[in-house]
Amino acid sequence: MASALDLARIKGAARSRGAARIKGALRSPVTFSVVAGLVIGALFLVGTGADPLAAYGAVVSGSLGADGIGSTLTTGTSVLGMALALAIPLRAGLINLGGDGQMVLGGIAAAVTGLYSPLPAPLTVVLALLAGVSAGAAYAALAALCENRFGVPLLVSSLLLSYPATSLASYLVRYPLKEPGSSLPQTRRLPEGVALPAFGTSTVTAGLVLVVLAAAAYWFADRRTAIGYEIRMTGLNARFAAYAGVERKGLTLRLVATSGALAGLVGAIGVLSFPYRFLDGSLTAPGYTWTGLTAALLAAAAPLGTVVAAFFFAVLQVGGLSMERTTEVPRELTQVLQAIVIVFLAARLRFPRLRRRKPQQPQEPADPAPTAREPASQGEFA
Amino acid sequence: MTRPPSDIPAAGVGEVDGQEEALTPAARPPHAAGLSPAVELRGITKRFPGTLANDAVDLTVRRGEIHALMGENGAGKSTLMSVLYGMERPDAGSIRVDGTEVSFGSPSAAMAAGLGMVHQSFKLFDSLTVAENVVYRAEPRRFGLLDRAAARRRVRELGAEHGLVVDPDARVGDLPVGLRQRVEILKLLHRGARTLILDEPTAVLTPAEADALFVVLRSLTARGRTVILVTHKLREVLEGSDNVTVLRDGRVVARLRTADTSGAGIAAAMTGREVELDRVHPPGTPGDVVLDVEGLSTAGVHDVGLSVRAGEIVGIAGVAGNGQSELVETLAGLRPVSAGRVGLRGEDITHASATERRAKGLAYVPEDRHAVGTAPAASVADNLAMGHHRTSLSSRHGLLPPSAVRSHARDLVERFGIKASTPDVPASALSGGNLQKLLIGRELAHGAPLLLVEQPTRGVDIGAIQAIHDELVAYRDAGHAVLLVSAELSEIRGLADRILVMYEGRVTASYDRSDADEATLGLAMAGGAPDTSAANDTPAPDGD
Repeated sequence: MASALDLARIKGAARSRGAARIKGALRSPVTFSVVAGLVIGALFLVGTGADPLAAYGAVVSGSLGADGIGSTLTTGTSVLGMALALAIPLRAGLINLGGDGQMVLGGIAAAVTGLYSPLPAPLTVVLALLAGVSAGAAYAALAALCENRFGVPLLVSSLLLSYPATSLASYLVRYPLKEPGSSLPQTRRLPEGVALPAFGTSTVTAGLVLVVLAAAAYWFADRRTAIGYEIRMTGLNARFAAYAGVERKGLTLRLVATSGALAGLVGAIGVLSFPYRFLDGSLTAPGYTWTGLTAALLAAAAPLGTVVAAFFFAVLQVGGLSMERTTEVPRELTQVLQAIVIVFLAARLRFPRLRRRKPQQPQEPADPAPTAREPASQGEFA
Repeated sequence: MTRPPSDIPAAGVGEVDGQEEALTPAARPPHAAGLSPAVELRGITKRFPGTLANDAVDLTVRRGEIHALMGENGAGKSTLMSVLYGMERPDAGSIRVDGTEVSFGSPSAAMAAGLGMVHQSFKLFDSLTVAENVVYRAEPRRFGLLDRAAARRRVRELGAEHGLVVDPDARVGDLPVGLRQRVEILKLLHRGARTLILDEPTAVLTPAEADALFVVLRSLTARGRTVILVTHKLREVLEGSDNVTVLRDGRVVARLRTADTSGAGIAAAMTGREVELDRVHPPGTPGDVVLDVEGLSTAGVHDVGLSVRAGEIVGIAGVAGNGQSELVETLAGLRPVSAGRVGLRGEDITHASATERRAKGLAYVPEDRHAVGTAPAASVADNLAMGHHRTSLSSRHGLLPPSAVRSHARDLVERFGIKASTPDVPASALSGGNLQKLLIGRELAHGAPLLLVEQPTRGVDIGAIQAIHDELVAYRDAGHAVLLVSAELSEIRGLADRILVMYEGRVTASYDRSDADEATLGLAMAGGAPDTSAANDTPAPDGD
């Protein structure tokens, strides 16, 4: 039986792989759902009497123009951080819904460290970041342990553990850590110098660098390490990975802790940049966790795709505000866009699965060979 | 049960290549002469994206015959039956049932026209009784409610008429598979089906149950019903059918009268070349014990003892669901052991994890290649890397260079003749036989002293079966131990040096290959054999 793989074909395949990848990306459901979201959003705009081109133009110029880019990158730092936090476990098919709680605990831990550390300011910043990362990781690990030890699904344990964490933070900044004399539920401002270095006069800080480094590390691990391979295979078929000896519980714990660490990092970055304190609700109100989840889902947790999607949503979020200012179209439109994109994506998540599963009925020796597809008998006695 | 004359070339083999000549006219059962055929398909063409599943297929099934529809996976059998049964609309062609041209939009319409289909996976309610299942959707009513007495009576009447005796009050979930199949057939008869389509009906039956099924089918045809048998098993076609239509690549390549043909003839038509059926490989030369199992118990497995030596294939025969899968999964470290001891090359691995077992020298080809053995959405290269990704392919620092994964894949694709256009295509794009070669190649490449193989050729084309068998024998001859679980008796008898039979979670019999004829094994598989003390070192479990 001769191999069908000859050298020439391999070389040809390698050459055409790049082209095929671009073609595939254009045809992919992701492109489709983004375009569909934009088109349906335009219909909404026309329906309300607005000019869609002007509105979309305002989104783009407001977020990528000279006035907006700083704001987009600042928002993008948090969105990308949370998108990575959600994407890393999602790569193995796990969903950590406790991002809010982990982020807030990271923020509180960073704030407390920043306020009370006796070390010089630069070291305090590093320590505060580490504290935020550790708090987020530890709290996420708790959710993972609930699944591993007690069989509580991660989806449930992570989400439910999130509420007490945000409530605890809320309590702390209203009572023990409250800034004396302030009417707001917030801590004191961090001491002078305890802040992430910013780029020039902008609000963009070294936090962006940290998050981009995390994305790069994720890309590297995903493509070029054994653990990244195991994570991908677990996501594609958990039973396959388990059969070959990938230890699921350990993997869950590590991935969810990493996810929590990133969420904690986002919280710490939020505290160590403007407004340089923990203000109750300031981390959770913008909805970074959900935007991050959306971005991770949009990219199917692929490293580069997650970065692109996070940037896209940061543009929408910041551009929506500017659109509201200049065109009287409410910024909620951008949330509608986000929702439409997700609905279309969810539809994609369903179609190919159904098609793949149908021919694989139990006790069915026949293989669904795509080269000569025989739809297996699946008729019900309807 | 007589065996097919497997090594005698068929008279018709030569004709197969020239298509038109191969179409010898099908025999007409004498009593059906003059009647319109039960089913007549003309020029059925069905396209799926990228595939011509049926290409102008003609199929004539005469009333009162058992007509076998044969072909390898992907030959177009299932598509053709889906078209006939109203599950798919043909792109071209006509369907006549009992002489009337029909066009079914759904299986219900097909049923109304007198067709009935028994699917491979039964469509029964386990928690309901036999009578309730049989009358479902065609219930006898009394005051608008189900008339249970009438339903029971109906089951008894139909059963008596056709030799399909089943207790109407038994819960379907409690019945063995063979009886469940009877319930399916009764269901069709109750609804007045005149033509029954059976899709791989013997896949889940013991040889004895299969024989009983054919007695039933004969009694059905004697009463004027018609049976279409979709199968890939040559023996039952030879023993049980009147005529055979063979499909290959979506076309009819042969229409044969069963009486005039042989297994080799049909196999040649199916594959397009000559194949040697049921080869028996030379025995191995056993060395030291590699796998040593004593008193092993877990859910579904009771007190199993066995040993496998280097250079030996030990086969486990048994009807599916008698604990074979559980046993192998336990040995592979995927299920906890509740009692007993497992030794691998003298080391106790009773409680070792799957990873530890692999490190100590175990490789495993699981039964379900889609759900367990591969990740169909992942590339061929990624699928081939599994298990090697922590050992030969990765560096000390846990790096896994994509180039190493690809060259490993190219190597195995070449070595095991896996047909994949590039290692980047998803594994789901491979045919069943190629996917199985991928899986077996990946596991053999470990060179582990012990290989566990479950159902290595299930759903695999005849050509690929030979290649896989040769690989397994070569692996054994290289001095490795192989534990083979298969539901195909011919496979076990062709490959195994020693044969164990599992029944209800226990090893109930063991034989040297020379002592194990089909009848003996079939009896043991049905639970009929007390423990025979064949010459081997297996601790004899208590017979039931």
